[in-house]
Amino acid sequence: MRPIRILTAVPICDGHDSAINTINLELVRNGIEVVYLGYNRSSKAIVRAAIQEDVAAIGISTYNGGHIEFFWEVIQELRELHVEPEMPIFGGGGGTITKEDAEVMHQYGVDRIFFAGTPLAEMVVYVKRLCGGIVRGPYNVSLAGTDRSLSRQLTLAQGSVAGSFRRLGHPGVATNTGRTTKTIGLTGPGGAGKSTLIDELVYRYLRSCHATRRVAVLSHDPSAVSSGALLGDRATMIYSQDDRVFMRSLATLGESGGLGPATGACLELILESGLFDFVLVETVGIGQEAIPFGIESPLVERVVLVMPPDYGSRLQLQKIAMIDVADVIVLNKSDLHGSRTAAAEIESRIGANPNRGAQTLIRAQANRHGDPGVDQLFNLLLSSL
Amino acid sequence: MSALGQVVTAIEAYRQHGIQEVQKVRTNREYAEQLLQKWRETKARIRHAATPTGLRLPRLALPDYDDPGEIARFLWDEGLPGEFPFLTAAYAEQYLEPVHNENQLNGEALHDEEPTRLFAGLGLADDTNARFHYLSRNQRSKRLSTAFDGPTLYGVGAGEEGVLGKIGEGGVAIDTIDDMERLYAGFALDQPDVSVSMTVSGPAPILLAMYVAAAKRRFGPDVAWKLRGTIQADVLKEIQAQNELIFPLEPSLRFLADMVDFCSHTMPKWYPISISGYHIGEAGATPVQQAAYTLSNGFAYVEYFRSRGMEVNRFGPRLSFFLDCGLDVEYVVLARICRKIWAIGMRDVFCADKQAQILKLHTQTSGRSLIAADWRNNLTRTSLELMLACMNATNSCHSNSADEPFTTPSEEYARYAAHAQAILLEESGLFKHMMNTLQGSPGMKVVGTAVEEALLEEFNVIEHQGGVIGAVERRYQRSQIQASSHLLERQIEAGIRPVIGLNRYNTPVEEWPQVHMIRTPKEKKQLQRERLGDFQRRHASERDRCLDRLTNVVERGGNVFAELISTVEHCSLGEITKRLCDVVGKFRPMI
Repeated sequence: MRPIRILTAVPICDGHDSAINTINLELVRNGIEVVYLGYNRSSKAIVRAAIQEDVAAIGISTYNGGHIEFFWEVIQELRELHVEPEMPIFGGGGGTITKEDAEVMHQYGVDRIFFAGTPLAEMVVYVKRLCGGIVRGPYNVSLAGTDRSLSRQLTLAQGSVAGSFRRLGHPGVATNTGRTTKTIGLTGPGGAGKSTLIDELVYRYLRSCHATRRVAVLSHDPSAVSSGALLGDRATMIYSQDDRVFMRSLATLGESGGLGPATGACLELILESGLFDFVLVETVGIGQEAIPFGIESPLVERVVLVMPPDYGSRLQLQKIAMIDVADVIVLNKSDLHGSRTAAAEIESRIGANPNRGAQTLIRAQANRHGDPGVDQLFNLLLSSL
Repeated sequence: MSALGQVVTAIEAYRQHGIQEVQKVRTNREYAEQLLQKWRETKARIRHAATPTGLRLPRLALPDYDDPGEIARFLWDEGLPGEFPFLTAAYAEQYLEPVHNENQLNGEALHDEEPTRLFAGLGLADDTNARFHYLSRNQRSKRLSTAFDGPTLYGVGAGEEGVLGKIGEGGVAIDTIDDMERLYAGFALDQPDVSVSMTVSGPAPILLAMYVAAAKRRFGPDVAWKLRGTIQADVLKEIQAQNELIFPLEPSLRFLADMVDFCSHTMPKWYPISISGYHIGEAGATPVQQAAYTLSNGFAYVEYFRSRGMEVNRFGPRLSFFLDCGLDVEYVVLARICRKIWAIGMRDVFCADKQAQILKLHTQTSGRSLIAADWRNNLTRTSLELMLACMNATNSCHSNSADEPFTTPSEEYARYAAHAQAILLEESGLFKHMMNTLQGSPGMKVVGTAVEEALLEEFNVIEHQGGVIGAVERRYQRSQIQASSHLLERQIEAGIRPVIGLNRYNTPVEEWPQVHMIRTPKEKKQLQRERLGDFQRRHASERDRCLDRLTNVVERGGNVFAELISTVEHCSLGEITKRLCDVVGKFRPMI
């Protein structure tokens, strides 16, 4: 059975995340998948993420006031979208939410407000009871082509995945809308800066491509079989909080190799929806031996390996399997000490590969605003497909 | 090696030097004689005074050692208040009552009430202004401490989508220089008895620029050097614990450096940064983590400012600190050890003079330690924390109200909290007669040594990650704080950490205080939007020119703060923030 999946967030202009961090950890420890959207998030961003992640409920932790208005906005926006079944909202705010406030909020539809001093165990029991029995079927066909409908399809695919799916044709997939969707896979060790790089690529895409063009991001976080997971990639995204971006977080559910059991099925549905021109798939942090997107007929059209300069010795470099198959290798954090040496070592390593010449090495510093290395990667990805 | 590694080396050298000093006086007669002579002179200089009960006491208690080795060790480890390494206190007679003659002792009140910091921030600028006037009505000195609302803290204009509910909640809404002028209207900001503090970090340079520009309107173009106060502006702490940062770290540091540089030249009475452990502690860090991250942040600032060519003896005396004080045993000595490490680091690594060696400290009692269950126990908790803070000779203190788990402080409990300080420092005899009545016990020394060791160990861990900035980028401090916070909560749930009234001796009857929450009505929130809209219309023709000029200064590498003082005349906080984000990018949140 799939774990319960909820979304948590802290409202706009509020950075108090100490409580929610503790609660997230406790929920995950108790087998719940938590998509954490982060702090300072607008009601729009919360509703967008809740729909795209197709969560069972939303938990909001607020601390600096305005909660009556904020929760109301979230509920109104959800109601306008006619989410089925209705997505319950719960929350807390220590001493900032009075009992009178909670009464008002309950009246307009908030399921539960936790007051100061509520034990963590009580919240876990509540979430399990709230979400445990929710049954979700597909949306009506009239909603086909909406994020809601796609999102629900992804949920159903995750629930029924049998581990087999059709490999995709290349290059590009012509969909029923006539769009040609570019699919890019990004992988690399944990802490290489994959999420940051993706967000920066999305930023460039949104700025340079027409407003009707959309991006999908499939990102992965590790989890063991039938246990919880903290899906936190969204929390560090700045530019991907946009209606033109569809993002879905997947837990690996014990799958090794960087992707989840349903990744292929989900990617297929995303492509078939015809909603997106650009699809980015991010793996979890991988080990030396992993080749997450395959070799013979890879799951995506272009594979980008993101590496930090501190991979260890030259010998370690020899062992990294992805260097043999990646189309592009991004040496990120190029401001760090040792980055020049690393670049030279990687250059000579790929020079010895049989498919030499087909691989490109780019030095980048994704966490720098307007980084030319990221520009180069973006242009390469758009033009080479 | 980053500066932090050098600090560790300097502390170790200091200890080593201390051991050598002790050996030297024990083996070198002449040297010992000099020390004994100095000791006698120090003793002779100590003044005595009588308590109201007629007891005559020295104002500083020195141990009755006659062995030169012990004296040397005392002077090296413990030292004298107001002297390096400032372990006992930053100043020689910090909390002491002035010496009175006998007539005065039998006479009337000798003191005006110690001015309290009046932390306020609600609704619009006019509301907070009225509150400031009300709170300070009986006080000679006005210390106006300002809390800002969420949109202001994030540099978001009141007109932005989705923020209406947040306007004026939890703090005051400031969008423009006009709001800033309203906020402190009626206070003589150019006078020595008025000081202002602003609890804001992300957009701090923009808000301080508004403050300076607004003060110039009222008091003339040369007012800057007379302005007194503090602005928090601690961007490293924001990344580690409080999450109110707008720009990426690098430009945030640069804007901060420009502001500190400007203030240390032009606003000598202003503290342009308050290096804060409070939010780190409140986020769940252990006391050692709090102290280690705060001090290392401080050293990182000094290192960074110097790398920009700033002179340590100019900006060093303008740095101030802000720590949390809870009930764990470390708090018996925590701030004392911090003062010592700061002094040694500043002197021996950065070659700073005395004024820049002194860690000036504001302490607040722990808000996190206060709980809703059987909440009047919070009075006791706060009193004990206050006592610990005073035992550490904090330079100023804020004590929390017992009703804080439920609400913003009611006037009644805010009064009790403020008076607890007066009871401790004025009514009780613990601190006012002798500087070190409650210091120097063997127990304290042992805790101090353990804390110091643990601190240096943390410094080493941070150093191994490339110093503070490297560790920040790896989210080291964040993940450590989060882990400690989670552990704390689980210990409380498991009963390993007793919390009276919660997991021990629960009172069956749950009684909540009468809570009267002050909320900002919707009309006022709308009014703020209208005011901002009106400002933008009036300045529409000047706006782009000003923002372009600002952009130019940022790109050219000029002093951004100096330019902001002109920019704020025609541009709102939200407009400036947006433009700066276009130029330098946005801060990427960490989880």
